[in-house]
Amino acid sequence: MDFIMRDSARINRRRWAAAVLALACFGDASADFKVTDVQPKFVEQSLVLTGNLELGLNAKVEEALSKGIPLEVNIDVHLLRERRFLWDRKIASWTLHRRIQYHALSGQYLVSTAEPESETGESLLTLQEALKQLGSLNGVTLTLEEPVTPDAVHSVDVRVSLDIEALPTPLRPLAYTSFTWHLNSGWSTWKVTP
Amino acid sequence: MEHVESHALNRTVTRYVTGVTPLAVLSVLLIAAFIMMNAAAQNSALFGRMYSVLLLVNILGVVLLIALILLNLFHFAEQYRARVVGTRLTLRLLVMFVVLAVVPVSVVFYFSIQALNRGIDNWFDVRIERALDDALLLGRTALDAQRQDLVKNAQEIAVELETLPVRQKSGALRSELSMLNALREQYNITELTLFTQDRQILASSSEANLEAGTLVPERPSDAVMVQVRQGLTYANLDAISKSGLRLRVVVPVQARNVSAPLRVLQVLQALPPRYAKLGESVQSAFAEYEKLVYLRGPLKFGFTLTLSLIALLTLLIAVWAAIFFARRLATPIRELAEATHAVAQGDYQKQIPVTSHDEIGILVESFNDMTRRIHRAQLQSKRSQQEAEIQRAYLETVLGHLSSGVLTFNQRLLLRTHNPAAGQILGTDLRAGERKPLGWLSEKYPELQPLIEAVEQAATAGQDEWQVQIQLSINNHRRTLMLRGTSLPSWREKRGGYVVVFDDITTLIQAQRDAAWGEVARRMAHEIKNPLTPIQLSAERIRHKYLRQVPEEERDALERATRTIIEQVDSLKSMVNDFSEYARSAQMHSRPVDVNDLIRDVIELYKNTRSTAKGVVPLHGASKAGKGKASRAITTRLDLDTDLPRIAADPGRLRQVLHNLLLNARDALAATPKPVIRLGTRMVGQDNHRFVEMTVQDNGPGFPEALLAHLYEPYVTHKEKGTGLGLAIVKRIVEEHGGTIRAYNLKEGGACVIIRLPVNAATGSAESAAVSKSARGEKKA
Repeated sequence: MDFIMRDSARINRRRWAAAVLALACFGDASADFKVTDVQPKFVEQSLVLTGNLELGLNAKVEEALSKGIPLEVNIDVHLLRERRFLWDRKIASWTLHRRIQYHALSGQYLVSTAEPESETGESLLTLQEALKQLGSLNGVTLTLEEPVTPDAVHSVDVRVSLDIEALPTPLRPLAYTSFTWHLNSGWSTWKVTP
Repeated sequence: MEHVESHALNRTVTRYVTGVTPLAVLSVLLIAAFIMMNAAAQNSALFGRMYSVLLLVNILGVVLLIALILLNLFHFAEQYRARVVGTRLTLRLLVMFVVLAVVPVSVVFYFSIQALNRGIDNWFDVRIERALDDALLLGRTALDAQRQDLVKNAQEIAVELETLPVRQKSGALRSELSMLNALREQYNITELTLFTQDRQILASSSEANLEAGTLVPERPSDAVMVQVRQGLTYANLDAISKSGLRLRVVVPVQARNVSAPLRVLQVLQALPPRYAKLGESVQSAFAEYEKLVYLRGPLKFGFTLTLSLIALLTLLIAVWAAIFFARRLATPIRELAEATHAVAQGDYQKQIPVTSHDEIGILVESFNDMTRRIHRAQLQSKRSQQEAEIQRAYLETVLGHLSSGVLTFNQRLLLRTHNPAAGQILGTDLRAGERKPLGWLSEKYPELQPLIEAVEQAATAGQDEWQVQIQLSINNHRRTLMLRGTSLPSWREKRGGYVVVFDDITTLIQAQRDAAWGEVARRMAHEIKNPLTPIQLSAERIRHKYLRQVPEEERDALERATRTIIEQVDSLKSMVNDFSEYARSAQMHSRPVDVNDLIRDVIELYKNTRSTAKGVVPLHGASKAGKGKASRAITTRLDLDTDLPRIAADPGRLRQVLHNLLLNARDALAATPKPVIRLGTRMVGQDNHRFVEMTVQDNGPGFPEALLAHLYEPYVTHKEKGTGLGLAIVKRIVEEHGGTIRAYNLKEGGACVIIRLPVNAATGSAESAAVSKSARGEKKA
């Protein structure tokens, strides 16, 4: 019974997120941020995420990118411990910053990830490749400060969004007032395999 | 209570909403926020991250400012509609200030926007754009040449490496490594790496300083591998965010043995520093320019937004300042107007706080001085009025308790004032005659005609002081008044009217006359009584001596003559005794007397043996008895007040009073068919002026009109045998008791005598005690 309720709450939350997303991407249906697949698991004292985030850009954002405007994407991760009679308890949270920029001289897209450990950069020929690289979670290791309770059920909430605050200052008022720039996947929940 | 609290709360809210402080603070904060936002818009590192927050804060602040100003305007509109003093002036000032502020700001805003847009557009030039495009193309071409060289070198190296034996295991062999090293040095390559088909490193050679951070050579991506497996060459310029640019060429290394697996060679060549630097410069300049071109629209939008907000803020602050200053300028004028209105309504204590030292301040000070003076003058006048009131009350009291009558007339001879004694003496209520002329008074009160005539005559003659004695007939009583008139002091050449003071001197004259009569009676009694005894003795002696000596036939005549002399002398003696009784000032033997008992005692003397009815006492009609007619019963009716107090009186003399009155009545009823005498008592007056009133009335013919004025004078009688002393004695006794007597004819016929005897308070209370004591005694008996 409890599980059904929690699932329905989660479904509601997803619906909300979907509604917000639909509203945000009113102009361009194909452009969307989605968390398609995440497989979190505990490895020793850390949480390892593997999966893919689908990052679709609309024409406006794509144009800005092609004109040299760097885009920053924030991936918010919350680790929750599920509880039987109370709401889930948030154990830890992380925000991963990833950045994509067009390099005009080489005609490539530079994708840099500032994962918790170190910053790495990669140059890719096509935008699709670059976005795929930007949204790929290849064993991203998130260190836990406290060890998790072994028997408890854990879940991970993931959200990916375009960081408007990282845009150049003149673009920000426009970005805030236009739905085109509101790219947000909304929260999605994934069970952690022990 | 709640109403008061809510009212106070409302006032506090209004003060906070329409006051100076919130708007001033908000304005200062907004200006600060705008300065920060402006800095942020110019890519300041300090405020860059706060730009959005600042923008939001500013928009909210401006909205709040608008709300506050609207509230102020609404408050002001309400005052204007309520026609609060000063709002019209405030409105005029407000409009003037707002126009003065809005017009320049609008002009500056318009031209600033124009200049801004033109300025931003001027940043971009087609030639610069083309030059940058060309520079980029040039850079790409130069790098392309480098790349072609590297591809050629890579392919040569690949051909040379074909000689190396194929193996599947990873881990470098010495021969492979030395060959790679040799080739790398030969072709001056930064890094050479040989991979298997599935991207496993077979051997690698690199410059020592190449990417010191990574020991493992970088593998080509899957897409590259796919391309290479198809036998194609991959060549690209890699942009590495930290280490700049480098060329990457990946070529397949065919084996001599056809069945042997394909190997892959990756050649990495760092660009020469000069190339790298130039390339990076071109890249960054191009990127910056592209970015600027792209951001032209948003930049204009941002600047216009900021400028609009600043212009709006300036306007709002100007409007607010206009409201504030207009109100501040109008406040003293409004206060002055309100205070003037208050003074016009009679509030002379109004003072206005002096807030400035300019002309308005001087005006306010003068106003305050004026109200102070008016207030002082008003207080003085009030005090004088009070004093006049006190004086008037004093005079009224004196006049009210004066036994003399006082009448005042104004210069037109209208009756102005009169005191109570005047009304009592004249026997009329003079209140109706106030402010009425003499003619009206003489019509309304015809009995006062002599008095009115006297006043008129004196006024006509213009006498300042006059005195006259007049006779009035008041309530069938003749009264003698002594009038003394004085003209009042004139004021502003106007005659001041007259005051007439008069006294009822009837009693005085009567007393004088009574005294004269008493003296006459005393002398007469003395003079007559002295010879009477010798006359009587002589007559008796003549009778005694000569009765037997005279002849028989004359004896009878002598007998009759002497008897007549003796009888007449007796009669004379009795008359003289009456006179002496009247003349004598008797000694009073006062003691508490119950008048009702006294009346009953006296009536008892006249009582018939047979009582006809309860309270009805018949009286023998004795006046005609001497003439042999049958005596008739006179009905007496008693109407006695049972609560009558005792009075201090001489019972013997009061008995005489009743006796005289009853005899008079009996005599008067001699010819009346159904004679009735009514006797009554009652209490009149109040407090210290209480009287026992005793009434004796009959249904006879009444007093003859001619005698009414002289009823109490001695020798005034219409009876055949009367001495005329009865009522004179009654009056004297009543006056000795401090009482009054009044006699008049009843309208329905008959005479009425009313005697009032004063009830002394002490006597009254003492006597009520005595009465109750005797009542107890009776009960005991």
